[in-house]
Amino acid sequence: MKRSALIFLVAALAVVLGTATPLPAAGRDVLVVGVSSDIHTLDPAVSSDNYDWRQIYPSYDRLVKYKVINGRGSTEVEPMAAESWTVSGDDTVWTFRIRKGIRFDDGTPLDARAVKFAFERTLKIGKGPADNIGAIQKVEAVDGHTVRITLKNAYGPFLQTLATDAASIVNPAVMQHAKNGDLAQGWLATHTDGSGPFKVVQWMRGQRCVLAAKSDYWGGVPRIKKAIIRFMRESADRRMALERGDIDIAEGILIDQIPALEKNPAIKVLKFPSQLVEYVYLNNQKPALKDPRVRQALNYAVDYDGIIKHVLQSNGIQMRGPVPLGMWGHKEDVFQYKRNVRKAKALLKAAGFAKGLKLTLIYSERRASWEQIATILQSNFADIGVTLKLELMSNPTLRDKVDRGDFELCLGAWSPDFADPFMFMNFWFDSKLWGLPGNRSFYRNPEVDRLIRKAARLSDQQKRIQLYSQAQDIIMQDAPYIFLYQVNTIVPMRKNVKGYVYNPMLESMYNFESIYKE
Amino acid sequence: MGILFYIVKRLLALVPVIIGVTLLVFIISHAIPGDPARMMAGQKASAQAVEHIRRSLGLDRPLPVQYVSYLGDLLRGHLGFSIRNQRPVIADLRDFFPATLELTLASMLLCVSVGLVLGIVSAIRRNRLSDHIIRIFSVVGVSTPVFWLGLMLLVLFYRNLGWLPGSGRIDISLSPPAHVTGLYVIDALLEGSWDKLRDVLAHLILPAFCLSSVYLAVITRIVRSSMIEVLGQDYVTTARANGLSEMRVVMKHAFKNSLIPTVTITGLSIGELLGGAVLTETIFAWPGMGKYVVDSIDFLDFPAIMGFTLLIALVYMLINLCVDVVYAFLNPQIRY
Repeated sequence: MKRSALIFLVAALAVVLGTATPLPAAGRDVLVVGVSSDIHTLDPAVSSDNYDWRQIYPSYDRLVKYKVINGRGSTEVEPMAAESWTVSGDDTVWTFRIRKGIRFDDGTPLDARAVKFAFERTLKIGKGPADNIGAIQKVEAVDGHTVRITLKNAYGPFLQTLATDAASIVNPAVMQHAKNGDLAQGWLATHTDGSGPFKVVQWMRGQRCVLAAKSDYWGGVPRIKKAIIRFMRESADRRMALERGDIDIAEGILIDQIPALEKNPAIKVLKFPSQLVEYVYLNNQKPALKDPRVRQALNYAVDYDGIIKHVLQSNGIQMRGPVPLGMWGHKEDVFQYKRNVRKAKALLKAAGFAKGLKLTLIYSERRASWEQIATILQSNFADIGVTLKLELMSNPTLRDKVDRGDFELCLGAWSPDFADPFMFMNFWFDSKLWGLPGNRSFYRNPEVDRLIRKAARLSDQQKRIQLYSQAQDIIMQDAPYIFLYQVNTIVPMRKNVKGYVYNPMLESMYNFESIYKE
Repeated sequence: MGILFYIVKRLLALVPVIIGVTLLVFIISHAIPGDPARMMAGQKASAQAVEHIRRSLGLDRPLPVQYVSYLGDLLRGHLGFSIRNQRPVIADLRDFFPATLELTLASMLLCVSVGLVLGIVSAIRRNRLSDHIIRIFSVVGVSTPVFWLGLMLLVLFYRNLGWLPGSGRIDISLSPPAHVTGLYVIDALLEGSWDKLRDVLAHLILPAFCLSSVYLAVITRIVRSSMIEVLGQDYVTTARANGLSEMRVVMKHAFKNSLIPTVTITGLSIGELLGGAVLTETIFAWPGMGKYVVDSIDFLDFPAIMGFTLLIALVYMLINLCVDVVYAFLNPQIRY
């Protein structure tokens, strides 16, 4: 009896194994994207995370959207749910005319009332996204399809903020799911209810999220029927799945695995200059770093070209000024530091550190390259007589230290939430934003404060560029940070995937509405 | 009756241990510098937004008040609300624990079945070729890094040969079986869906083998050494002298008596695998608790960390209790 049971078990296993060959890859109307991180919440009023926005963004419409120019994503905006708008002479009252014929899934129209509801809900919930549209004082539905937004004061980047995830227009009907005054946060954490081209139909935590295309989307029916986001934490795993055709796009493949993928004839590796920059915060309030000559010396010590060539394998460019290339307001001719050991030593000597000094750099493992960069900085600084102690710590601890200013040097990364130099110039240098929210070098220069605050209140782009330009010249001399590089976003995909548009403002997000497979 | 009393006594002893665990984890997790409200708000968020979140999560209250409130919730069966995932921790555990449990059970099945056979063969063929091969296999198993082994298995069986699926629990073209236990193998059986069962088993093979590699080697070595010890006992010599067949001597007289150390190590292994399958889960994109807890720690999601620790502590204690009870069945001299 025992022996026959054993034989049965072995035979059953043999059958299973014998027929266990992997199932064929998805069809042409299903796009599969392999990504590294799961979703936390699907509520646009709660999430400040690009990995969540990847699913939220295509599920909703917004008043405006980023323009696609010659097949490339741009940082300019154009009408979406709003067909037109006007602004008052003092730039504080914006009136939007809402396009007719847009409907939510339940058939209710997207109108002025829905816009008012969505914005007020986000502001009332008051979490991270509320900051993006925090300039709004009140929203009024003038008539069914006209909405008037009054700002607290003139705010240059306002229109750009309306293209962000935070400005997604949520169906007011979600309130039927509200519990204990949570404004339906509980329900929207796991559902979407918008008028966008897709909606989330399945989310298996840690496994996959499925977005289904809407066959009646007002902006044109998507060419794929389903987008499946597979959560695969390990880069090598995503690479293998891409090579075998089990996924169509692999996100976040480590740089050292890219050359092998480039040799694969079934795969194309697209590279785009992103707005993601990496830099070193120099805590301007620490005694050794108060003197701008010391900060300049550190800027001169860094081997920018070496880091880009060897660590990034040439997938990036050195930053020129704080506003990255590709963002309006970028200053082509602003001063750029290059490695100059002799000059760095002279500056240190002039600052009274002829015998060198000791500094500490903190960093986390948030980015795979930081360990290498920290070591290179240590070696570069040693060349000018600066002993750099390296301290690796967990991300929450590092964030806490940066927020409190309890550090000397720290490695960091930054990407803008909306397409405006405000995201760099005002966040990084306004002395009112000391700490984690933006000014992480604890820098203060009254003239810079004046220029950037004035620029933020204007909506005339040329005037703003002029003010930011003046500020950038001062900043480069003050050297509050070491601007390292802006990285390329690398998107490997199967060759039959067409229509992908990269937008530097929509990092980790996909234009599912226009992607297709041949 | 004795053993029932013993089990009740041990179960009652769980209560102070659980309270101790909650206190310890609460103190340690709150000693980590960092602000979960800031983590949730996003790093660019204003101080007002962070403060608003801190208040709404109750993190502005004094720590003792937060702890007492947590214990109160625990008594009512609530494990708190995950800061990161914005939903009850118990719902998160319900999603992630079955995946880890299924992987652990599959790998333990592999460990115990293969480990016992290899250990016994190695002991009865001591110092012969098969013993040497098995011992080399054990050393390699113990010393091979799980991360490397997992990747090599994927490269060979998924990428190059295409015999087995790569990562995940089930193919994306299939919906998971209807949730009954959360263990896909059992649920697919209950649903009577052979396609799903086949796919789920195929997905289990590589991660289960990878996870079992270390403990398979450990169990093989333990069975071998305890078998060698038992085979040298007088009663085994007596059994042989009585003319019993070698098979009967080994399986009936030696094997059962050599099982106690194996049961001990198996119990401990289950506990460790449940809490420490992070690497295997990462390589094979297995949606289990390992990844969940690492992400929670990285996010300072205190309620999630507490919930995970409590669950693992509870499982550990129950496994230890089971092991102690099994001892009594294996060795009649043990009485409670």
